[in-house]
Amino acid sequence: MILIFGGAHQGKREYAAQLPGVKTVADCLPDFTADAVCGLEDFTLACTRQGVEAADWFRDRREQWQGKVLIIRDISQGIVPMDATQRAWREMNGRLMIYLASEAEEVHRVFCGIGKRIR
Amino acid sequence: MNILISGGAKNGKSMFAQKTARTMAQEHDVPLHYVATMIPVDGEDEARIRRHRKERAGWGFETLERGRDLPGLLAGNAKATDARPDDPETAPVEAAVTVAEGGAEPADPRGVFLLDSVTALLGNEMFLPDGSVDRNAPERVAEDCVRFAEMTGSTLFVSDYIYGGAETYECGAVKTEDPDDLTEAYRRGLALIDRRLAQVCDRVVEVSAGCVEDWKTPADSRPDNIEEYSSEDEQPER
Repeated sequence: MILIFGGAHQGKREYAAQLPGVKTVADCLPDFTADAVCGLEDFTLACTRQGVEAADWFRDRREQWQGKVLIIRDISQGIVPMDATQRAWREMNGRLMIYLASEAEEVHRVFCGIGKRIR
Repeated sequence: MNILISGGAKNGKSMFAQKTARTMAQEHDVPLHYVATMIPVDGEDEARIRRHRKERAGWGFETLERGRDLPGLLAGNAKATDARPDDPETAPVEAAVTVAEGGAEPADPRGVFLLDSVTALLGNEMFLPDGSVDRNAPERVAEDCVRFAEMTGSTLFVSDYIYGGAETYECGAVKTEDPDDLTEAYRRGLALIDRRLAQVCDRVVEVSAGCVEDWKTPADSRPDNIEEYSSEDEQPER
């Protein structure tokens, strides 16, 4: 699995789409039929609302996303949100990023449309 | 060489930009211009501008105030305000909107330009004094900046990395982004400009705590250097 992360509107999807072997990009989970899945942060928000730990959900389905490219927005760098759901989501998103990065063969970050392998 | 400089607030972007711009101007023995984009609206802004001018004093910059219409700077509509030896503490802060109509000499496009910041430029072009919002501003400013980079060949663009927070999502709604949300529209617009500039600039850097990380270097644009670049321990960029 290759993990791609970066801030909002940085061009993560476009970067993923030009990686070798990526022909299709799915927009949301749970859908591992495409080569890449974009918008994992939407999934973690849904998990937050439903009280599901996103990292556990992925751990339980480990075989499904092997060899995939997973794309997630890094939402960790702003002000702590006033809204309790946003606070919980921000933390759950971070926990998922750490778990996925630990499982990934490659980790890439995208900045201003430029992607770079950082691990 | 055109350079895009981004990163978080108060991480040293402007200082890196100033040092690099001065070195570039000295190397090529060309004028050094500071394109000031802030249009002051209150005493706090004026104090900030005075502080920045004081910080730049002695660096050799000629300050060009330009809050809107960037390409017009090279067409002869700008007025140099720091060209005279004013005391930065007491010099009056003129509103860029009026200065822009001053009809001074066009800036020499052969010089080095430090534009600080793309963020303020978009804000001025998108949020107008009469309270209206120009949603076409991001596309236009992106084109203006790209054109300015091409015309000068040596501009340092300072932008702001404002894409790392969780605060823009409306958690009460099902869909996460409200298309009418002006903050998000602005943020998306600035990201568009950043990405366009990153494509045309020869160098793209991120400044964190005063440390500079290269995301794109001139070597990345030169086909003959690809092999050398790929031989590094990391994967090539793109």
